[in-house]
Amino acid sequence: MRRLKARDEHALQELYDTLAPWVLGLAYRILRDEAEAEEVVGDVFVKVWRQIHKHDSRRGPLVPWVLSITRNRALDELRRRGRWWRKADRLAQAQGSEEELEHPATHEATVPGWPLHREVHAALATLPDELRRVVTLAYFEGLSHSQIARRLRQPLGTVKTRLRAAHRKLTEQLAHLEDWLE
Amino acid sequence: MTDWLGMAVPPRTPRPELKGRVLARALARRRWPLALAAALVVVAAGVGSAWWAHRTIAALEAERARLAIRVAALEDTVASFIHDPATRLTQVPVSTGGRVGSVTIFADSVRRRWLVRCDGLAPNARDQAYQLWFLTDRGVRPAAVMAMDRDQPMVMGLALPQSGERVTGAAMTIEPRAGSASPSGPMVFHVDL
Repeated sequence: MRRLKARDEHALQELYDTLAPWVLGLAYRILRDEAEAEEVVGDVFVKVWRQIHKHDSRRGPLVPWVLSITRNRALDELRRRGRWWRKADRLAQAQGSEEELEHPATHEATVPGWPLHREVHAALATLPDELRRVVTLAYFEGLSHSQIARRLRQPLGTVKTRLRAAHRKLTEQLAHLEDWLE
Repeated sequence: MTDWLGMAVPPRTPRPELKGRVLARALARRRWPLALAAALVVVAAGVGSAWWAHRTIAALEAERARLAIRVAALEDTVASFIHDPATRLTQVPVSTGGRVGSVTIFADSVRRRWLVRCDGLAPNARDQAYQLWFLTDRGVRPAAVMAMDRDQPMVMGLALPQSGERVTGAAMTIEPRAGSASPSGPMVFHVDL
């Protein structure tokens, strides 16, 4: 972090080596398009490099900050291109979200950060199906509460209650996580 | 908590060539403002130079035009007044403000015009001017008002009255700065031609 803030270009390269697989994975999970996901990876690292001074380590670790940038950028791309419903339908049909979360690609296990991934994945997997579904729709597809309610044909109040419950459970399970980056 | 959820997605190995592309973008953007600043400096310098050159050329052209007019006047003076056999030269010593000067009149009776040169006249007070008069057989006629704010020679060309009057002399007085219809101030000189 200090090296990034000192504009050390080697530090940016190292950050890319460490985080690019996770950034690409998240972007691809949201966009379902390799070329679009790669564009998002470029945008994310450009933004991280240019705005690293805005990151306050007292308010949170670096990895979640980068993932947050990735998610926002990918969701923007999804909305900007007017493919939201088409992508969502494709996602729903492929049931990719469930499959990927339940069957991670073990050949990527050598990637730095893998243990952390296992913990987050496990925490999500332990959620009851109805909670995991609303979290997935909210986080990975950027749906609002009312959109989730329409999608799942559930009352809005139920969706909000489930999201709160999921948030509480995940917070308990993931509170101990720390960056594996220095 | 939800900030970590992105880690729930399995990693995806980027194509090797993506790294070079991404880093080039990031680092190029960092340098872009410097390049832009340098370009702006160059453009500003160019615009400034062009503006300066434009102003200088305009000023030089105005000066050239002014000098051309002056040269033409001098050529006219030399050719028409000084060398013309019809020109009569009259030089009048004058004393103004305690200094001695002169007024020289080249009178061209054929073309009915005068060239008058004043040397050594004291500068006027702020509300006064020298006024030259034609003395004719029918009276005094105003010829020119000369406000002299600086101590330098003055040259002017004057057309004689076209009313058929015969000019018999000249006079100069000190009048209010706007001039007078008839002489009313101190006399500087009076001469019969």
